Amino acid sequence: MIQQEKIKKVLCLFCVLFSVGLVLPITTRAAQLNLTSQAQEIKMGGKFEVSFFLNTEEESINAVEGKILFPEKLLELKEIKDGNSIVNFWVERPRSDSAGSIIFSGITPGGFKSENGLVFSLVFEPKEKNKGQIEFSGIRALKNDGLGTPADVLTRPLEFEIKEADLAPEESIEIKARDYEPPESFAPEIARNESMFGGKWFLVFATQDKGSGIGHYEVKEQKRARIWKKWKAAESPYLLEDQNLRSYVYVKAIDKAGNERMAVVEPRYPMRWYEKYLVWGIIIVIVIFIYIVFRLLNNSILSFPPASPKLQRGERKRESPGRATRSGAGRSDPQKRE
Amino acid sequence: MKKYYLIIYFFLLLIMVLAVGFFILAENILADSNAVVMTVKILVCGDGVREGWEECDNSDLGGRSCASLGYTGGVLSCTPACEFNTSACVTTAPSPPSGGGGGGGGYVAPLIETKVIFSGRAYPKSTVTLLKDAQVAATTVSGADANFQISISGLSGGNYIFSLYSEDSKGLRSSLLTFPISITTGATTQVSGIFIAPTIDIDKSEVKRGDNIAIFGQSVPNSEITISINSDEEFFAKMPAGKDGIYLYNYDTSPLEMGQHFTKSKVALAGEISSFSKAVTFQVGAKTTPKETAKCGKADLNCDNRINLVDFSIAAYWHKRPSPPAKVDFNSDGKVDLIDFSIMAYYWTG
Repeated sequence: MIQQEKIKKVLCLFCVLFSVGLVLPITTRAAQLNLTSQAQEIKMGGKFEVSFFLNTEEESINAVEGKILFPEKLLELKEIKDGNSIVNFWVERPRSDSAGSIIFSGITPGGFKSENGLVFSLVFEPKEKNKGQIEFSGIRALKNDGLGTPADVLTRPLEFEIKEADLAPEESIEIKARDYEPPESFAPEIARNESMFGGKWFLVFATQDKGSGIGHYEVKEQKRARIWKKWKAAESPYLLEDQNLRSYVYVKAIDKAGNERMAVVEPRYPMRWYEKYLVWGIIIVIVIFIYIVFRLLNNSILSFPPASPKLQRGERKRESPGRATRSGAGRSDPQKRE
Repeated sequence: MKKYYLIIYFFLLLIMVLAVGFFILAENILADSNAVVMTVKILVCGDGVREGWEECDNSDLGGRSCASLGYTGGVLSCTPACEFNTSACVTTAPSPPSGGGGGGGGYVAPLIETKVIFSGRAYPKSTVTLLKDAQVAATTVSGADANFQISISGLSGGNYIFSLYSEDSKGLRSSLLTFPISITTGATTQVSGIFIAPTIDIDKSEVKRGDNIAIFGQSVPNSEITISINSDEEFFAKMPAGKDGIYLYNYDTSPLEMGQHFTKSKVALAGEISSFSKAVTFQVGAKTTPKETAKCGKADLNCDNRINLVDFSIAAYWHKRPSPPAKVDFNSDGKVDLIDFSIMAYYWTG
C-alpha cells in the first residue's frame, strides 16, 4: 500500500515535470513585452518613469501595436518619450487616446531581433496613495517574414505602490538630463500618388531624436528670399502649397528640448532668371547707374568745351537743319538754328 | 503481480516522456538550423577595453609602453581611433639639465568623432547600402573580391537600428541585414564579419512537374552555395559560385508535389556562413509559365523601385480609412492595418 503511494507520488512528479517541459519551451520562445521602472519606491509629489521594452527571443519582429492601460485615479500621465526608440516609423505615435489609455503602433523595417529594445517611456505623477498596476491590452507583434505573421507574445504588467513622500513636494529632487543634441539629419522627399491628395504633390519627412524625442516639425515654402515668411507646424505627409514645385521647401525638426535640425529640398523646377525680382532689381540699378554715369560724363564734357570743335559742330548743323539732335551744344545756340 | 504491472506502466510512461522530450529537442534543433549562424563582431573603440583590431583603448594600452615600441622613453597614450599615440615617446637620451628650458608646446586634443564602421562580404563590385534608422545613410561599391567597408560618422549617442543590403549585377537585392547598436558618444564602433546573403531568383513562376527550374543569383566568388527547396520534405543542393560570384542551378522538379513551393540560398566561405536569402516562391503544376518581372515590386506604391518613407506615407494615409486601393492593401483583407505595414517593412529598401 505504501509502495503504491510512492509510485503514485513519482507518477505525479513525472506528470508535473512533463507538463512543465512541454510548456516551458513554448513560453520562452514568445516575444516578451515588459514594463519596468527604475524607481524603487513611488512617492507622492515626485515623478517616475516607466519604460516599455521588447525582448524578441530569437524572433525577428518588425511591427508592434497595442495599448497601455494605467489607473487614471492614481496616476497622471505627464510625458511620453519616444526618442531612442527601436521603432523607426510610427503608424500611430504613442498618445493618450482616452483616460488611462495610451495607444501606439509602429514598424522597424528589416526587423528587430534582440533583448531589451526600448519602445518608449512614460512619465507619471502619482495622484494618491494606493496600489495599482500598469498593463498591456490588445498587443500585436508581427514577424519579419513578409507575410505579417503574428508572433507569440508574453506581456508582463508593472505593479506599483504609491507611498507618502519623505520630503515635502517642493523639496523632492528631480534629476532631469538636459538634451543638447539636435535631431538626426534627414532628407525630406517630394512625391505624388494618385490615391492621395487627389494626385497632388506632397512632402514626406521623418527623423529621430536620441535624447528627448521629436517634438514637432515645421515647414516653410518659398520661391524668393522672403525672410518674413512664417514657419508652419506640419506633419508628414504634407500637401505642398506650391504645386508647380518652384519653391525651396525648408523642413525643421524640433525636439522636445527645443534643439532644431533643418533640411532643404531644392525646387524641382527652379525659376528662370527673368522670373526673379532680384535679377530685375539688379538690372534696374545697373541701368540707372550707367545712365547717371553717362549724364555725369556728358556734363563734365560740356563744362569744359573746346573752342574750335564747337564751331565745327555749328557748321555741321547748318549743313543739315532738318535733322533732330540731342546734343547739348545744339540747344545752347538757338540763334544759329534759326 | 500488481507490483510488476506498476513497474511496466512506469517504464512505459518514462519511455513516452523521453520520446516526447526527444521530439521537442529535435524541433528545437531543427528550428536552430534555420537560425542565423553568421558571426558578427561588434567592437567599440572608446569603451576603455582593448579588443580585436584596437591597438589600445583609452588607458588600456595592452601592457605596451614607449620602450616596448622601440623608443627610449616617454609616455605612450591612445588616440580616439584606438591607435597608439607615440608623439610623447622619445628616441634619444634626455640631455643634461642646462639652466632650464622653454615651455613645451601645448597638446591639441584631436576631435573625438562618433563613428560606426561596417565591413564584410557582399557581391563583386556591387552597391552596398547602409540604412540608419531605416533611411539611407551611405552607399559604397564592394571590391572585385566582394569585400566592402562602409562607415558613418557624426552620430549622437543612443540606440540605432542599422541595416545593410546589397544589389547584384542584375539588380537583384539581398534581404535586409539588421543590427541594433547602442552608440556611445565619442567612440568608434566596428562591426565586422558581415556576410550578406546571396541574391536569388528563378526563371519560371510555374513549372510543369518534372521540368527543370533555374535557380540563380550572385554571392562571393568561389564560395559554396547551398540551395534549399522547401516542400513537405526539404531538398538541399550544393554548388560552387563562379569567379564572378554568380551561381545557376537547374533543379529537376520531379520529386516535388503539385502546389506552391519556395526556394532560398545561403553561402559559405572559409568557415563563415551567411544567413538564408529571402525566399522565392514558385508553383509546380501542369504547365510551364516563364516568370515575368513585375513593373512595380511588392510594397512599392509609387513604382520608383524603392520601398521607403514615401511608400510608408501612402500606406499611412490609408490606415484605417475605408475602401483603400487594392495595391495599398497588400494582404487583400479590405483594410490597411499593421499586417500591411509589416509586409512593407520586410521589403524595405530605404
